Amino acid sequence: MNPTDFSTVLPEITLALVTMAALLGVVYTGKDALASALNWAMAGLFLVLAFWIGVGGGGERTAFDGMFTDDPFARFAKVTILLSAAAVLVISHDFMTRRNMLRFEYPILVALSVLGMMFMVSAGDLIALYMGLELQSLALYVVASFRRDSVKSSEAGLKYFVLGSLSSGILLYGASLTYGYAGTTDFDGILATLGQGDVPVGLLFGLVMMITGLAFKVSAVPFHMWTPDVYEGSPTPVTAFFATAPKVAAMALLARLMYDAFGAIPGQWGQVIAVLSVASMFVGAIAAIGQRDIKRLMAYSSISHMGFALIGLASGTVGGVQAMLIYMAIYVTMNIGTFAFILSMERDGHAVTTIDSLNMLSKKAPLPALAMLVLLFSLAGVPPMVGFFGKFYVLQAAVSGQMAWLAIAGAVASVIGAFYYLRIVFYMYFGKEGEGIDGRMGAVQWAALMGSALIMVLGVINLFGVESIALTAAETLVR
Amino acid sequence: MSLALIAALPFLGALLPGLLIRAGRNACATVTGAVTALALLGILLHAPAVMRGEVITAQIEWLPALGLNANFFLDGLGMLFAGLILGIGLLIILYARFYLSTKDPMGQFYTYLLLFQGAMVGIVLSDNILLLLVFWELTSLSSFLLIGYWKHLPEGRQGARMALTVTGAGGLAMIGGMLILGNIVGSYDLTVILQNKDLIQASDWYFPALILILLGAFTKSAQFPFHFWLPHAMAAPTPVSAYLHSATMVKAGLFLMARMWPVLAGTPEWFYIVATTGLITMVMAAKIALFKDDLKALLAFSTVSHLGLITMLLGFGTAEAATVAVFHIINHATFKAALFMSAGIVDHETHTRDIKRLGGLRHLMPITFTIVCVAALSMAGIPPLNGFLSKELMLEETVHTVWLGNHWVMPVLATIGAMFSVAYSFRLIAHTFLGPVRDDYPSKPHDPGFGMWAAPALLAAMVIAIGVMPMTTVGELVRTTASAVIGGEAEVYISHWHGFVPALWMSIIAVGAGLVLLGAHKPLEAMWLSTPRPEAKAIFDAIMEPFANAARAVTDRLHDGALARYLAVATLTILAAGYFAYETGTHTPGTRALTPIEPVPAIGWLLLMGATGSLFTYHRNRLLALVLVGVIGLMVSVGFVYLSAPDLALTQISVEVATVMLLLLALNFLPKDSPVESTAGRRGRDGFIAAAAGLGIGALIYALMTRDFAFPTIAEYHLANSKPGGGGTNVVNVILVDFRGYDTFGEITVLGIAGLVIYALVEALLRGGPANDRLLAWVPDQKRAGDRHPLMLVVATRMILPIALMVGVYIFLRGHNEPGGGFIAGLVVAIATIMQYMASGFGWAAARQRIDYHALIGWGVTIAGLCGVGSWFAARPFMTTNYGYFKLPFLEKFELATAAIFDLGVFLTVVGAVMLALASISRIAIRAGETVNVEPFDIQPDEEAATEGAR
Repeated sequence: MNPTDFSTVLPEITLALVTMAALLGVVYTGKDALASALNWAMAGLFLVLAFWIGVGGGGERTAFDGMFTDDPFARFAKVTILLSAAAVLVISHDFMTRRNMLRFEYPILVALSVLGMMFMVSAGDLIALYMGLELQSLALYVVASFRRDSVKSSEAGLKYFVLGSLSSGILLYGASLTYGYAGTTDFDGILATLGQGDVPVGLLFGLVMMITGLAFKVSAVPFHMWTPDVYEGSPTPVTAFFATAPKVAAMALLARLMYDAFGAIPGQWGQVIAVLSVASMFVGAIAAIGQRDIKRLMAYSSISHMGFALIGLASGTVGGVQAMLIYMAIYVTMNIGTFAFILSMERDGHAVTTIDSLNMLSKKAPLPALAMLVLLFSLAGVPPMVGFFGKFYVLQAAVSGQMAWLAIAGAVASVIGAFYYLRIVFYMYFGKEGEGIDGRMGAVQWAALMGSALIMVLGVINLFGVESIALTAAETLVR
Repeated sequence: MSLALIAALPFLGALLPGLLIRAGRNACATVTGAVTALALLGILLHAPAVMRGEVITAQIEWLPALGLNANFFLDGLGMLFAGLILGIGLLIILYARFYLSTKDPMGQFYTYLLLFQGAMVGIVLSDNILLLLVFWELTSLSSFLLIGYWKHLPEGRQGARMALTVTGAGGLAMIGGMLILGNIVGSYDLTVILQNKDLIQASDWYFPALILILLGAFTKSAQFPFHFWLPHAMAAPTPVSAYLHSATMVKAGLFLMARMWPVLAGTPEWFYIVATTGLITMVMAAKIALFKDDLKALLAFSTVSHLGLITMLLGFGTAEAATVAVFHIINHATFKAALFMSAGIVDHETHTRDIKRLGGLRHLMPITFTIVCVAALSMAGIPPLNGFLSKELMLEETVHTVWLGNHWVMPVLATIGAMFSVAYSFRLIAHTFLGPVRDDYPSKPHDPGFGMWAAPALLAAMVIAIGVMPMTTVGELVRTTASAVIGGEAEVYISHWHGFVPALWMSIIAVGAGLVLLGAHKPLEAMWLSTPRPEAKAIFDAIMEPFANAARAVTDRLHDGALARYLAVATLTILAAGYFAYETGTHTPGTRALTPIEPVPAIGWLLLMGATGSLFTYHRNRLLALVLVGVIGLMVSVGFVYLSAPDLALTQISVEVATVMLLLLALNFLPKDSPVESTAGRRGRDGFIAAAAGLGIGALIYALMTRDFAFPTIAEYHLANSKPGGGGTNVVNVILVDFRGYDTFGEITVLGIAGLVIYALVEALLRGGPANDRLLAWVPDQKRAGDRHPLMLVVATRMILPIALMVGVYIFLRGHNEPGGGFIAGLVVAIATIMQYMASGFGWAAARQRIDYHALIGWGVTIAGLCGVGSWFAARPFMTTNYGYFKLPFLEKFELATAAIFDLGVFLTVVGAVMLALASISRIAIRAGETVNVEPFDIQPDEEAATEGAR
């Protein structure tokens, strides 16, 4: 432990201190009266941190004897996480104040889970990995059941907690097996052990169990079962949060663990991840067809999208990791816009989430309908929207990683998936007349929706340069 | 003009109509036309060079890493299509100006139309298959907007959805195909791909790529079995259907097949898939067209049929057939667009498109009649019009084509198709325009103004011109285009008279039989109506519905919200993965020898298993379950003793006692039995899964324990360093307070928080609200015994208390070197105190409680923390312990370690947390109406004495 260690984790320490200070300060002063201000302040802090991390230090540094890694990969993930968390806080404000739901715990819990995520993506050691993961998960368990008076919300939190604990248990078991056979919890150490000769079966078991535990966090099939229930039961702002930042963090963590600790045996885990990926894409696409609730639909959509992102990881190349990062960045942007819209859906002052209520939206609200059209086309991966580029990057990575079958499966799954996205577009433009949504859109939500849609269109010019940043990030990870 | 600029022009121009609509409808239409004309001019400027065989290119880097570049090229094929798109677009713009009513938002319409036009031009000019894909899907998107803008939607909403679903899905499938193609060749540039025929056709991935690309082409061009969407998309306004659904968008699939022809065609796979599909589509759609009463539906199916014809020609894979295909593309574009616009005129004037309600229009609408006559006769293949020429050539090609060893299949079916084509073309003329004038038209028809019939008239003129002088008018164009399609020099010879070749006879048969069919239309229609007709919409629904239902059913079954099911799925998957790893991996038997099983541990093991098994059986009786849990805990403690871990045993047994007591108190408020909620089958299934998982984990542990670790165990390090490093001989305690001091610090914090949270929960509960009301109204399900505190217990516990406290102190002090320590001591003291509560009642005990339990927890954690911080002052890292030996008078030399201070913190926290939990539960009991426990105890000695005295 020395001063450089602290300077490396300074953004995290700042966030931790501010969060704890805010918690204490708010409890002893205005409590919920300050919730609104705290919400904005926290979003602002996220933005500042994102900027700090984004433009700050270059190169690769480690701290605390390799426990913590700060490299372009981690920074890419952190900036994505922070920006999406800030966006979620901002778009949820209007929804929560209108329903008198905004409590001071909300921004604090979000901040704590973001802190956990930042540690996750920087983990250089199994212990650090677990610490970050649990910090994130514990905060998420609580926010899932944020509406204590709603049975659904409590149930969502409970389910998430029980299944999350199971997955953490499996992950820990895998970690201890790994430790038992590698003799170290340090990623570099594990990698060094793998360099020599055969891979011990115990280590393989450990690897598979850790993948299993993390598969739960990215909601990859068949460990996805919690996703629809939790997405549906949680308050919508929380759902929006679930669908964005934690997914990026879990995906980045999975990538980091695979490459930093098990990078010597990509063949072993590539197959496992490819299987998860195919299962996720198909189950997500097929199960979404029958959904009538848009939050549940987005849950399956996110499962399917995680499958696509996993393709990039499975292909085991620099291009694959780059594709995964690009995919996740695009995915998050699309989801922010979509959830900004879902948050604004209400009828007679009550939030509605049925897909039917979108019927003939194009008549009532032409501009939001057009933005949603763009976003849905993008989610479906239809060119020329940016969503297509994300899909194309991962499919191309699969092909060049000698996994053409995976690319074909991905193309087929995207065809199935297009069905339900386009169905919503159809409802919006050609649906039958009926009770639709009414009410105004909050200015912030409107801006988020339009901004996200605009990015989906304008991004085709050069993807805002994300690809080269992602490439640098991927190159540091894949050696 | 650069090709990139030509492709961009419509997109840039798309802004103008929206802006200029304020200046009036004419300005709006004019500017749209001007943009289109400018783009067309750009193409025409390149025409001489292209005719000479040159290829014009333009390249812009876009996302080179992805292989996506904005590369354009113009050859004969691209020029033909670009000309068609822009030329017919110009006519449509003119036509739409007069077709759209004042109520329709014209600015929007022209904006979308230009967007669509740009996308189409982009497709045909792309030199990069990814760029082509982008434009390809842009056509879907903009066509969607074009149809969706039509606010007064007729019945055919479903059509839009089918169109979107089918073409969108096809386009996505094509992405896969293009990806593979690009991967085979190593470039996404069309010009490169087109030169690698052998490489592509030799590849293992040729077939999948072919299928995926054809899926895109067939869906877009409405080929069987995807033909159903096109007629249903006709709900759109006529200018849109004329432009999208006959002249341009549906031809994109043909364009793609023609574009890829040099590298994909020529294989048996290509021939059988493409030619057969085209043939089936041609015949089937022509037959359906004959029986359609809606003018636009008739034309729509006729379009499908002709697209099938062109597809078939491309499928033949010969240069001659490809040339004919090109020629027919031109011809079809001219006569079909004219017919669509004319149908629109009829609809516009009479307010109906139902042939059954029309007839006799030739006198009322002579101009329209003339135009329709020319175009329909061409469609029927009557000489000397252009339709005749290409149909003759097509029939000629079929004669030379062998299908699965058959020489006659192709010609016969093609003739039948042509026959239907003749029949419906003549029906279009006869049933709409001939016959008596009716008096019940929905609106009084007359010819429209010049603006509206100018465009179809121009096209009709072209039909005649090409028909009369084919070589002069389009011969060169066909040659250039066909050369581009086949990737070589094409021979073009178009003539009206080839001699008495089979094609001529086939043509004559087709016309004759077609007229017969038309004559017998009434009985045939009755037959048609009485036979089951596959209705596209119904089939689409019938296919989609079960899929959607199946998807929903599977989802509902899998995701029914039951946590148990989710856990079962996850557990089974992990089990399967483990089994798979075991089956496929290589493993050697363990090297460690097994130790023999002694009788004593065997008995202990049996007891443990017995208790666990009983718990499984009797878990519904909660009290019994608690007892059994106690037994299991006890056996585990005994196990620790047996394995020489007295510390663990002590800790375990204290924890057991404390938790069982607390649980017992909590159980007071809960039902005594758990209700049965599952069926026997369900329990059996869950039992099986649980047993399998347990055995799996057991097997894994067994496997691990029979093998040596890769490195020396950590135990040796601890044993070696416990005394020199931590100053204690009790390794477990040294681990707790020193090696893993951080851990312990975290644990006591959590323990303290747990105690506080229980307190907070109870506090919130008792503060009022529904839960409090329920508690007040609570009636115990069993009658209380009503006994006060038994005297023996009271006396015994009071005597034990000082002894127990002494034991606690003793255990605490010896902890560092002998079994014991702060944690166990804390539990012992807590248990001793709990006994006071149990024996003498809460009230009595609480009255004598001097220390606040919150403070205990707070001090405990603070002391432990400060102890850790203390090491900073000795310039050592956080939580480093130090120890020394001291001598006090009257005592032996003894050791004092800073770890003992830390241990004190542990001790205080444990006592505080356990007692706080107990106190909280007791508060609930009192609130719930517990009376017995409030009073001090059963027999009041002083009261007794007083009564004795009085007596």
